[in-house]
Amino acid sequence: MKKVILPELGEGIEEAVISGWLISEGQGVKKGEDLAELTTDKAVFNVPSPDEGTLKKIIRREGDTVKPGEILAELE
Amino acid sequence: MIICEDAKKRRSGMPSWLKKELPDAESVRRLSSYLKDKSVETVCVNSRCPNISECYSSGNVSFLILGNICTRGCLFCAIKKGLPGGINPEEPEAVAAAVRGLGLKYIVITSVTRDDIPDKGSGHYAKTVKAIKKASPEVMVETLVPDFGGDKGLIDRVIDSGVDVLSHNIETTPGLYPRVRPGFDYARSLGILSHAAFRGKAAVKSGFMVGLGESRDETERLMRDIRATGCDFLTIGQYLRPKNSRLEVREYIPPERFSELKESALALGFKKAASGPFVRSSYRAGEFFKTEDL
Repeated sequence: MKKVILPELGEGIEEAVISGWLISEGQGVKKGEDLAELTTDKAVFNVPSPDEGTLKKIIRREGDTVKPGEILAELE
Repeated sequence: MIICEDAKKRRSGMPSWLKKELPDAESVRRLSSYLKDKSVETVCVNSRCPNISECYSSGNVSFLILGNICTRGCLFCAIKKGLPGGINPEEPEAVAAAVRGLGLKYIVITSVTRDDIPDKGSGHYAKTVKAIKKASPEVMVETLVPDFGGDKGLIDRVIDSGVDVLSHNIETTPGLYPRVRPGFDYARSLGILSHAAFRGKAAVKSGFMVGLGESRDETERLMRDIRATGCDFLTIGQYLRPKNSRLEVREYIPPERFSELKESALALGFKKAASGPFVRSSYRAGEFFKTEDL
């Protein structure tokens, strides 16, 4: 099990909103493949998969406000 | 579950062209802690700039001097309005040491407005430029100055410090001044550029934001006004709200329109124009200028 953690978005940017998941639960992903899209006040970011595997569980859903360091999903 | 494929579905309504790579947290952290260690502030952090990772990983830093509390409250800017504290007399040397320590080649010095002190901070700008030039004579220095109350003698202090580029941003169209930068005056700001161009010692640069509700005609007129001052270099970027208490974005301008604006600027006689959604006054400033431009 590997956790997908939201990395730092740059100094001063404390939160982001998940604008959508690009991968569904149960789908396989490659390392570096984009999993979800986030928006801050100033930009849109894609969150890449930290590893190869299957997206086991989405923890934070579309529309959720998330902070750096939070667990977004689990990979297997 | 909704799979997000269409930009229109984004909750924020932010278009796809405002997509950025995730910052390289490590390089941002490393540079930030170095700068904190040297007790210097940057506008990169204070303005919550979306380009910070890109700039920091390529060694582009814009220093913020004279504190991080501003005596004017522009509604596009993240910096807090209030009564600033005293000026740190060691700041010019601290900035010079950081510039040298990081081996920077081109740097931007900017500040909050300091209407609370008699020389409005112009002397501190001059000291900072001189300290940098003394420690690293090869470094190109751009100062992005406030309006110093329109006092030409104060602008001259900065110009005569040996700065390479004198920048003052017009920011928006005259009709939007009361809403966007109530403490500033359009004609006075243009006067800064005219005076700097008249002096002829430093290259003169300005910039403005789009997406605040200006019309196309107003934008074209704005560019003509800036060009008429003798200003040669221009930057145009998308306004993005730095925090919830600031003005909302009225319009996301597509990249094609930014290309048109650049063409218009060049047709008006600007020597160089940078125009794009993520363009900021000091974004990749060192790449913007080549030695032969100055």
